[in-house]
Amino acid sequence: MGPARAEPAGLTPLIEFDHVAFAYARAADPRTRAFAFPGLSFAIERGEIFGVIGPNSAGKTSLLRLLTRVLSPQRGEIRLDGRPIGALRSWELAREVAVVPQEAPRPFPFTVEQLVLMGRYPHGPRRFFEDAGDAAAARDAMLATATLSLAAMPLERLSGGERQRALLARALAQEPRLLVLDEPTAHLDLRYQAETAALLRRLNRERGMTVLLVSHDLNLAAELADRLLLLRAGEVARVGAPGDVLEQGVLEDVFGCRVTVDKSASGRPVVQLAYERG
Amino acid sequence: MTDARRLATALSALGVVLLAIGLTALFVGSAGLSPGAVARALTGRAETSSVEAIVTLSLRLPRVAVAALAGAALAVAGVGFQALTRNPLAEPSVLGVSSGAAFGVVLAQILGFETGLVAALGVAVFAFAGALLSAAIVYLVATAPGGLAIQTLLLAGVIVGIFFSAAITVIISLVDFNRLSGVIHWLLGNLAPIPPSSLALFAALTGAGVWLILRHARELNLLALGEEAASQLGIDAERLKRRVFVAAALLTGTVVAFTGPIGFVGLIVPHVLRGLVGQDNRFLVPTCAVAGATFLLAADTLARNVVAPAELSVGVITAFCGAPFFVWVLRARSRPV
Amino acid sequence: MIRVAAAALLSLALTSPAHALVLRDMLGRDITLAAPPTRIVSLVPSVTETAFALGGDARLVGVSDFCDWPPAARAKPHVGGMINPSLETIVALKPDLVVGTDEGNREETFLQLRRLGIPVYVVHARRVAEMYDLISRVGELTARRDAVAPLVAGIQRRIEAVRATVGARPVPRVLYVLWPDPLLVPGRDSHLTEMIELAGGRSITAAEPVSYVRFSIEAAVARAPEVIVLADHSSGASTAGRAAPEKWQALTSVPAIRAGRLYSVDLSILHRYGPRVPEGLEILARMIHPEAFR
Repeated sequence: MGPARAEPAGLTPLIEFDHVAFAYARAADPRTRAFAFPGLSFAIERGEIFGVIGPNSAGKTSLLRLLTRVLSPQRGEIRLDGRPIGALRSWELAREVAVVPQEAPRPFPFTVEQLVLMGRYPHGPRRFFEDAGDAAAARDAMLATATLSLAAMPLERLSGGERQRALLARALAQEPRLLVLDEPTAHLDLRYQAETAALLRRLNRERGMTVLLVSHDLNLAAELADRLLLLRAGEVARVGAPGDVLEQGVLEDVFGCRVTVDKSASGRPVVQLAYERG
Repeated sequence: MTDARRLATALSALGVVLLAIGLTALFVGSAGLSPGAVARALTGRAETSSVEAIVTLSLRLPRVAVAALAGAALAVAGVGFQALTRNPLAEPSVLGVSSGAAFGVVLAQILGFETGLVAALGVAVFAFAGALLSAAIVYLVATAPGGLAIQTLLLAGVIVGIFFSAAITVIISLVDFNRLSGVIHWLLGNLAPIPPSSLALFAALTGAGVWLILRHARELNLLALGEEAASQLGIDAERLKRRVFVAAALLTGTVVAFTGPIGFVGLIVPHVLRGLVGQDNRFLVPTCAVAGATFLLAADTLARNVVAPAELSVGVITAFCGAPFFVWVLRARSRPV
Repeated sequence: MIRVAAAALLSLALTSPAHALVLRDMLGRDITLAAPPTRIVSLVPSVTETAFALGGDARLVGVSDFCDWPPAARAKPHVGGMINPSLETIVALKPDLVVGTDEGNREETFLQLRRLGIPVYVVHARRVAEMYDLISRVGELTARRDAVAPLVAGIQRRIEAVRATVGARPVPRVLYVLWPDPLLVPGRDSHLTEMIELAGGRSITAAEPVSYVRFSIEAAVARAPEVIVLADHSSGASTAGRAAPEKWQALTSVPAIRAGRLYSVDLSILHRYGPRVPEGLEILARMIHPEAFR
């Protein structure tokens, strides 16, 4: 799934946001009315795990939507491999970028295998039935996520962690170059959080998969990501290695609360909320 | 076994059942024809103006065709609406299209368009107009700047349906008592033999509607992921919703135009078939077409013969099957998984 | 010589085309038949009654389920209801004419029959005068022309007798309740309105512009009827359609209730414009003018 070896360094970034400006046209909700990307620029390098963090309504979800063309920027350009994504057909983009959603859609009456096969659509939108190649790709994706044994089970009967892996399998079946995860551990308990993190790391290291991770879990992002982007009100507050981004001063400024930053066993920053006592 | 092979097998099995019911329908009726007489008529060996020829070829055969087409159309419209709204309880009549078409026809009947072949087509045109009107209203009400909102679609459909039903009731209460029974009879849904030209039109429209939904069966599956996720896989969700809505409304409007409103087919048939062939719309659409034809044909054969020579309306039979079926489905769904 | 001539004439008669018979039905439509009809299906109870009264029932090969008078009519083959008769059954009877009405049968049925090559003759009678016309036409169709005049004369005599009896008397306001809930009453175009007039009364709903009206009880009460006739549709076994006079007893402002002139009667014979109309008329007259018949 994805490139079989790490992409050579020094090439154009996989994803570039170039002065992207966007505002919601009509927002009844006063919170979103004020929000806009005045002009966002950053890049995601090939083969890296890139994390996007920030407070709610900083624009994390909107950023994802701009990337997958659910929304269109009013100014600026988003490029994939140097090509503006606006010029791509929607299924061409889907062959490159795959999104793993936060949670499974409901109701969802299909089995795991049927779900994973849906990921093959961009590779043959005209086909009525999936072909042997699609079946092989789906099988591969399920192997990678250890969901092959669940193939015939209805998605709704799975546990939270199993569902998450099934959704990941579907995204992998798209054979993308960029895997996007929207709050991947939001509803998972500790064990599954660890499993998911390990799986992502493996996909990145073994297959060179570029990963974009949007999360409100700062410590997960710190552990996994090679670089982080800290968003505040649609603008880049900080971008860089986790150690540079997760600084106490910056965090307190952006999140508006007291924190302390320590080091974890692996050398990555660990952010702790300073609770009020009294 | 490949998917295509499985589909072919399922269709063949269902096709055999359809054929069996179809033949039964041809051989059974209130004229009391012997099987030999019917067989003679079917193979062309009966004299053209003999009773068996007229009954078999001019009465039963066209009626069988109408029943099959209407059943297929309603079942596929049901699948389409259910996939669109992601709700297995969505039925063509829930989206207001049936009521709108019925209103059009009631209006036509009251305005006195009752004579001649032109009027027979004229009534169908009124039904289409009514179906189009209610579909357009529902569509417009449910379309927000972001696109067609499915939840609003369901609500709008229910409301529009209620409105037109009320309008029909108003007309009925004002109409001359003598005309009343005819109108009420129509509203129950009846299959009757129609002339070859109308039959050809009916077949063409049904074919077009079924084809349009079948083409998008795979994309309808993906719609279950949610519109945003489906878009991210490369599907044009707005175009898909629009096309399926139009196709399902076309199928429903066509049936109502030719037979009056018949309910429950679009609910029962997809449900039963889901238990047999699964949730995949690529399997459901074609198998429901065949199964829907079979179901309505069976219901009509019953309607024609159970109190012969009087006839029940086929809508009565489907409702009698539908109501308890609905209850059973609701209870099955509420059982813990 | 004569034999040759006779043979020639005979062969001429046999080879010349039979006269096409053109009938005009009561809606003004022309029906072309090859010969006078000998196998008639009647979808109209009053036509069936009339045919039997004229002695022409031999030509009736099929009747509707509602053709229940005279009792002999029930023995004829049935073809289904008036709204949705079975086309198959009709076709199987091989009729050369089907008689229908525009008040009770559907145009769609006539369309289907014509499409199958079966001629349809439509009758329409809302007045007593039209009823005589109906009898005459049924006589023509069943080749019983001679029986028409005596039958019509008999009916006219009895109607005249009733009119004579109630003639000079004051005309009370009559409310005829065809169905109690919703309140259904005869309007201007209903033959019942004429019947009430002939029986020496005046229907308070005579001016309503259609034949049968859904009326409001308030308006009926406001018009202060002096006689109320409740049509009873229950047929012995079932109580559905029972007149339920007790519901009306509470309306004590109405003259009819105060005077106790509330009648409930099975007047189904009046609801058809057939040969039994004089009977129904007599019963109606007795209710409206009981003093005239002592």
